[in-house]
Amino acid sequence: MDYKALIQVMDPDGNTDESAIQGISEAEIITMYRLMVFTRLWNGKALSLQRQGRLGTLASVRGQEASNVGMGLALGPDDWFCPSFREYGAMFIRGVRPKDLFTYWGGDERGARPPDGSKVLPVCITVGSHLCHAVGIAWGAKIRKEKLAVLSSSGDGSTSQGDFHESLNFAGVYKLPVVFAIQNNHWAISVPLEKQTASETLAQKAFAYGIDGVRVDGNDVLAVYLTVKRLLDAARNEYKPALVELFTYRMDDHTTADDASRYRSEEMIAPWRARDPIDRMRKYLTATRGWNEGKESDLIAECTAQVEQAVKDYEAIQPPHPADMFGHMFAQEPWHLREQKEELLKNLVRPER
Amino acid sequence: MRHVFRLPDVGEGIAQAEIIEYLVKPGDKVKADQPVIRIETDKAVVELPSPVAGTVVEIPFKPGDTANVGDPLLIIETEAEAPAMAQGPPPRKIEPPRPVPPQSEAAQAARILATPHTRRLARELGVDIATVKGSGDHGRITDDDVRGVAAQATAPPPKAPTAAAVQAPATAGFDFEKYGPTRRVPLKGVRKRIAEVMVRSVSTIPHVSHFDEADVTDLMAVVDREKALAESRGIKLTVLSFLAKAAAAALIAYPSLNSSLDEETGELVYKDYIHIGIATDTEAGLMVPVIRDVDRKSILQIASELQGLSARARDRSIDLEELRGGTFTLTNVGAVGGKFATPIILHPQVAILCSLRAEPRPVVRGGEVVIRTMMPLTLSFDHRVLDGAEAGRFVNYIKDLLEDPLRMLVDVA
Amino acid sequence: MARLSMIEAINAALHEQMARDDRIVVMGEDVGVDGGVFRATVGLLEKFGPERVIDTPLAESAIVGTAIGMAIYGMRPVAEIQFEGFMFKAFDQIYSHASRIRHRSQGLYGVPMVVRAPYGAGVRALEHHSDAPEALFCHLPGLKVVIPATPSDAKGLLTSSIEDPDTVIFLEPKRLYRLFKEEVPEGEYRVPLGKARVAREGRDVTLITYGGMVSICEKAAQHVASEGVEAEVLDLRTVWPFDVDAIVQSVNKTGRAVIVHEAPRSFGVGAEIAATIAERCLLSLLAPVKRVTGYDIIPPLARLEEYNYPDSDRVVRAIHEAVQFQ
Repeated sequence: MDYKALIQVMDPDGNTDESAIQGISEAEIITMYRLMVFTRLWNGKALSLQRQGRLGTLASVRGQEASNVGMGLALGPDDWFCPSFREYGAMFIRGVRPKDLFTYWGGDERGARPPDGSKVLPVCITVGSHLCHAVGIAWGAKIRKEKLAVLSSSGDGSTSQGDFHESLNFAGVYKLPVVFAIQNNHWAISVPLEKQTASETLAQKAFAYGIDGVRVDGNDVLAVYLTVKRLLDAARNEYKPALVELFTYRMDDHTTADDASRYRSEEMIAPWRARDPIDRMRKYLTATRGWNEGKESDLIAECTAQVEQAVKDYEAIQPPHPADMFGHMFAQEPWHLREQKEELLKNLVRPER
Repeated sequence: MRHVFRLPDVGEGIAQAEIIEYLVKPGDKVKADQPVIRIETDKAVVELPSPVAGTVVEIPFKPGDTANVGDPLLIIETEAEAPAMAQGPPPRKIEPPRPVPPQSEAAQAARILATPHTRRLARELGVDIATVKGSGDHGRITDDDVRGVAAQATAPPPKAPTAAAVQAPATAGFDFEKYGPTRRVPLKGVRKRIAEVMVRSVSTIPHVSHFDEADVTDLMAVVDREKALAESRGIKLTVLSFLAKAAAAALIAYPSLNSSLDEETGELVYKDYIHIGIATDTEAGLMVPVIRDVDRKSILQIASELQGLSARARDRSIDLEELRGGTFTLTNVGAVGGKFATPIILHPQVAILCSLRAEPRPVVRGGEVVIRTMMPLTLSFDHRVLDGAEAGRFVNYIKDLLEDPLRMLVDVA
Repeated sequence: MARLSMIEAINAALHEQMARDDRIVVMGEDVGVDGGVFRATVGLLEKFGPERVIDTPLAESAIVGTAIGMAIYGMRPVAEIQFEGFMFKAFDQIYSHASRIRHRSQGLYGVPMVVRAPYGAGVRALEHHSDAPEALFCHLPGLKVVIPATPSDAKGLLTSSIEDPDTVIFLEPKRLYRLFKEEVPEGEYRVPLGKARVAREGRDVTLITYGGMVSICEKAAQHVASEGVEAEVLDLRTVWPFDVDAIVQSVNKTGRAVIVHEAPRSFGVGAEIAATIAERCLLSLLAPVKRVTGYDIIPPLARLEEYNYPDSDRVVRAIHEAVQFQ
């Protein structure tokens, strides 16, 4: 097992190993491109809304669209997805509605509920702990002999967490159908990768747990897709857990409450602009698949309209009712919550919805 | 329209920002999401994008100024509607209650050492806890201390006297003979009793009278039509029986008019029975025999009973029990005539309905003047228990039944 | 009926439930081959196999964390933490996720998981093996906390806890594991969560308690009975959400309350019950509410353990104070 080789199919200039992507149809490739473009536009709009006070603090995925989209498309129909908080592209692919993510980052829990049957967990804010949940789901599926795989996604910082270690260990011991994707975007807020770990790569950490570790150019959506799909298939069919490091870069601040210029310079970011995941795909499509400016502007207009509609839908939602705070604490409302809710309602000017 | 772009809360807990530079000037056209201003907070330098497309008309700050969250940063003239969150109604929280002025009792309570349980015991036994000497630690008042005081009380505390009894006779010391010859006749029996009851009612109950009139043209036709049937059973059928039935239905719909106010406990006593007293004029004076369970009797039954009760009232053979237990009273002065009246409630009831003579009168129906038989109604009610709106609705209910007699067939049990 | 100790009753519940519902999985350190260090899970591996009776690595956070994942998936995991003192390793998973996922997903996912652990003092054990941290779990919105006091209750409560759609922290007083045996009904039965048990009726004072302290209170009640004081012993069984109606009814009847728990006094379960009594029974109170508890200290090792662990003398003293209050 080569834990260090960086798997790449499409280089930053769009030159692509066609033999490697024979199994992917042109329609699928265009879909990948469109999803990346949509994710970037949604992301940009979300940041703008935050700056206008129409959305709360949120994390930008800019630069990680290929990792997001490649992961999301690689999932099988019955697979589960356990995100952290920087996987919007993958979540959209699995059925989470753009307006729901606006709602959630707007501070309304109703946006956190994934669609029924989507097999997506809600956004997990605490770093790394959801890897245990991914292991548990995979474990349950193995016990029940249900053929599926589970994909977790977390960042380079998560590899320092105890739960990362415990999760990979459990997965290896019990041979569970789980793939741990690490979006290595090189930063945990202000802590760069070289301060996060002494390991040369993140993929090689898998060796300690007896599981496969693979490293992929996270800005190459085709490589991400192919690799994650291969690993999920192996997990699903052969009970082979794996760690996949998606080598990418966080182009924006950690969140809208962060100012990355305090700890990193433009010189550090600049090389990654040249490796942009969307640019390279556009170059490839233009060179080989008949993409042109007309199609490009049509796509942008279409995606922009969808984003604008999602904003409208989000801002049209009636505000939540204070009584909703008490909902979903337990399957059945216990007496003390009923009393406390009534006390709250008693002190409202307009207790009705 | 003018859109005012205010400094938003750009990051966790930031309250102010310094203006670094404006990226636009008045007159510039801007697109939505276009960066228009750079600000610096404690955490970061941030570019703010315009929420709308339009033309910049005003720039309230200059570089170096400090703005607070909520201050207007930029005014844009836009054609588009300003984006706004579905604000919904304004915030829901009630203001905290105004402080209640300290009760002198509460101030005193601080110096009395007694548990809440002991205080409640004192209240129940009618003992003023401030007068009890405590035998417990630090002068604490014990339950036994309270019981001791209660046992020593010589006479039971006098019942709160009724308003009627405490009033000194208003005419005491009046010298009528001074102005001419007079003749004195003592008030006796029924008359005296009526006087007492009336004084009690008026001095205890705040009376309000609600006047209305019902179009009984169709009802009179029914009475006429069914007269023969009634007579075949020896019953004299009048509008009064219908009025009693309608009142019974209305009392079910508006149970507070069928209640009594227990002045001692401060409780409103709702009664699950409908016993209507019918004021009856006798030689000796006014008597009010009671028809029980009016809601369960047919109009003919009511008429029959009414007949019997009135007869017994007049020949003084009526049983006292038949004059008691009423929950509501009807009084009809139709025989005598008159258009308006302000009846007095029979304490402890809370309402009384008076009907006067039904007469043909010109009224307006559908924009035209027609002649209809109109019966005046007055409801006097206890304003401690009822308000005008409810009283009015009660009368309307009765009116609706009287004016559309068939409704009594289909809508009254 | 058989006479079982609490540990045997717990084992019986697990056997019965795992046979009835193949979604139930037991996992923890040494629960399989060894049958659990207290033998709570003895015989399960042989009957249900290694897929459902799992000897996990030494990793409490992952034990609970993966159990959470299994519960989300649709299983009914019963995770064992070897001693209550090690629950803190899993506290983040319990606090950040088990108690929250139903709310986080607005009802789409729940975590029907039981985390069981031997709990409490009284067995002269090592450090971290005598703690009573129940109040910490009670204070987290979204959790239920159950502490049985008898073998038959343990069986019925564990069954109900496994069936409950939310996470139940099931703390088993290790002092009671083998202390006594009693008749335990065979076959399935449930003791409902949220319902207290009147262990002994009385009219003069209410002793509100749970777990290892119930027998202590019963002993104290017997003692004061000989003095003419009738103490009512209320075993909460479910510590949170507790049976508030039972508490209110009893204290209104007796007018005096003494709360007894081995956990440290300050900010403990007794404080919550005392506040509840003050809110709802004020006019019935003949005396201040008293608490008989462990002190606000690290539970001592064997040599001094008996001085911290409430005994019936301390409860009797509190009863006397309550009854003699004037």
